[in-house]
Amino acid sequence: MSRSAPIGPSDVIDRVERVTDPELDRSIVDLDYVDDVAVDPPTATIELTLPTAWCSPAFAWMMAADARDAARDLPGIERVRVRLRDHMHGEEISRGVSRRRAFEDVFDDAEDDLSAVRAQFDHKARVARQYDAVEALADAGVDPSQSARLRRRDVDVDALDGRTAVQVPNVDLYVTIPTEPIERYVRKAEAIGLVSAPDDRLFATIEGEPVPPEDAETVHRRARLTRTNMHGQGGICDRLHEARNGDRTDA
Amino acid sequence: MYQHEGEDVFVIDGHVHYWDASKENIAHEGGEQFIQCFYDYHTGFTPEEKQWSLDEYRKYDKDRMVRDLFGEGYADMAMFQPTYLSDFYEEGFNTTEQNAELAEEYPERFVLNTSFDPRDGEEGMEEFERKVEKYDPKGVKLYTAEWRGDSKGWRLDSEEAFEYLEKCVELGIENIHPHKGPTIRPLNRDAFDVKDVDDAATSFPELNFVVEHVGLPRLDDFCWIAAQEPNVYGGLAVAAPFAEQRPRKFAEIMGELLFWLGEDRIVFGSDYAIWEPGWLIEAVMEAELTAEERAEYGVELTTDVKKKIMGENIAELYDIDIEEKKQELRDDEIADRFDLESQYEGAAADD
Repeated sequence: MSRSAPIGPSDVIDRVERVTDPELDRSIVDLDYVDDVAVDPPTATIELTLPTAWCSPAFAWMMAADARDAARDLPGIERVRVRLRDHMHGEEISRGVSRRRAFEDVFDDAEDDLSAVRAQFDHKARVARQYDAVEALADAGVDPSQSARLRRRDVDVDALDGRTAVQVPNVDLYVTIPTEPIERYVRKAEAIGLVSAPDDRLFATIEGEPVPPEDAETVHRRARLTRTNMHGQGGICDRLHEARNGDRTDA
Repeated sequence: MYQHEGEDVFVIDGHVHYWDASKENIAHEGGEQFIQCFYDYHTGFTPEEKQWSLDEYRKYDKDRMVRDLFGEGYADMAMFQPTYLSDFYEEGFNTTEQNAELAEEYPERFVLNTSFDPRDGEEGMEEFERKVEKYDPKGVKLYTAEWRGDSKGWRLDSEEAFEYLEKCVELGIENIHPHKGPTIRPLNRDAFDVKDVDDAATSFPELNFVVEHVGLPRLDDFCWIAAQEPNVYGGLAVAAPFAEQRPRKFAEIMGELLFWLGEDRIVFGSDYAIWEPGWLIEAVMEAELTAEERAEYGVELTTDVKKKIMGENIAELYDIDIEEKKQELRDDEIADRFDLESQYEGAAADD
């Protein structure tokens, strides 16, 4: 191992980039939560600061644990220490996550493990991503009621180098749209098991049911609302993060 | 009064505090963390030249508050929304009793709300009745995320909470202001739930539920509930400062609120002293939706709509007759002190 290119902090950051703030569905690296990464094989250390000391311990735990798991994926890394700084439960979370303990064992007033919280956020992320995908389709002339009829097999993700081919059934319409929004949507919809077989409907209502075409507009507006909420909360976290960490240039 | 394009805009700031987070009053480290977190909200959204120092922010005097709201802040009236946090602060953080010091000095300017906590049981009920008797409030501010002993919060749809809501109906307290902003506890299951407002609003159609902070970070759940419950309103505290710092996000949020709730169910609040109404009201009044945003949401943010948000809607909830109020405020002590008489002259001439 010592002769191959050594694992460095940038490798860890590349992995951690996949970890999202569950409330915002954005990378914790892009959000600037990662303060520092150190690598001393077989150990990696990741330091995190969240926008507020009051950030829900459950959310903080999820981000810290996901960062740990992402870094542990690297060859030669066997141990990951996560240090959550300036958080009201920073010590318990840092110690618990680094020792790979379970959330509900560290916080004895937790009612449950974190799977329900994760499912809730995955659900919201799926809905918000659906809005972007359906908007991209609308921009290409496919209205929401037509999108409601799409099945997984009608979409060929990234068929054309950066663009995705969509065959709209019944109306003999073929369009291409930018890959990014639809790819992001499909990835999340597949990860949560909403879409798996080629025959599955691509999009769903907020509750996860097939979209009746006559309700497609309302479903789309509710999806927009979920996205607006994420953007709004993102704005709050962003301002708090700057206020707390003094990122603004001091006069 | 605010002047916008030649029109008078009567402003009722629906959410203000007179708090004490001085070091002497802090009883628990949570109290220090709480004010630090508030201060991050303050500096994160306040224009640099308007920012307070942390020391100023911990505790301010009555003179300053009156000047910030009415002298320099355009507000004509303001509404106290108490936040007790009795486990964190020796004498409480922002209690009805503290607020009453100002409200009783300027009763024509302040609306004094009180609070209850259903975990206080029978004794709490007696205390609540005593406060209602003493202060005659028309509303209550409820902080469901407050810590109390081992408990880290309570729900508005619990049996105990319903007993208090029944008492509100009995006592003629019609306006319920639940704080639905970020909560840290309970740790998981209920952390992002506004469903308790839904059940309470359905069960008490005679009460109005003004959800403070429009449910952020659950704007989506909040709007969907409000779309179905006609007695649910949105309080703009925390959303409003986006108008200054993130105008397009503010436009998105307003677009959603106007689309799902309509222009009659949105009320302004500065959350003073988190933010001062002066720059905040300017920012909200200057906010506009682009043609694209108007088309996207199918709504307008006209001066008439802003007048509703700034005062008319909440005046309706609290039975405040704005024209009568203008006459009353014309020659009160505050109008005299800040030279505001001429603002209210037009009102008298019209009558």
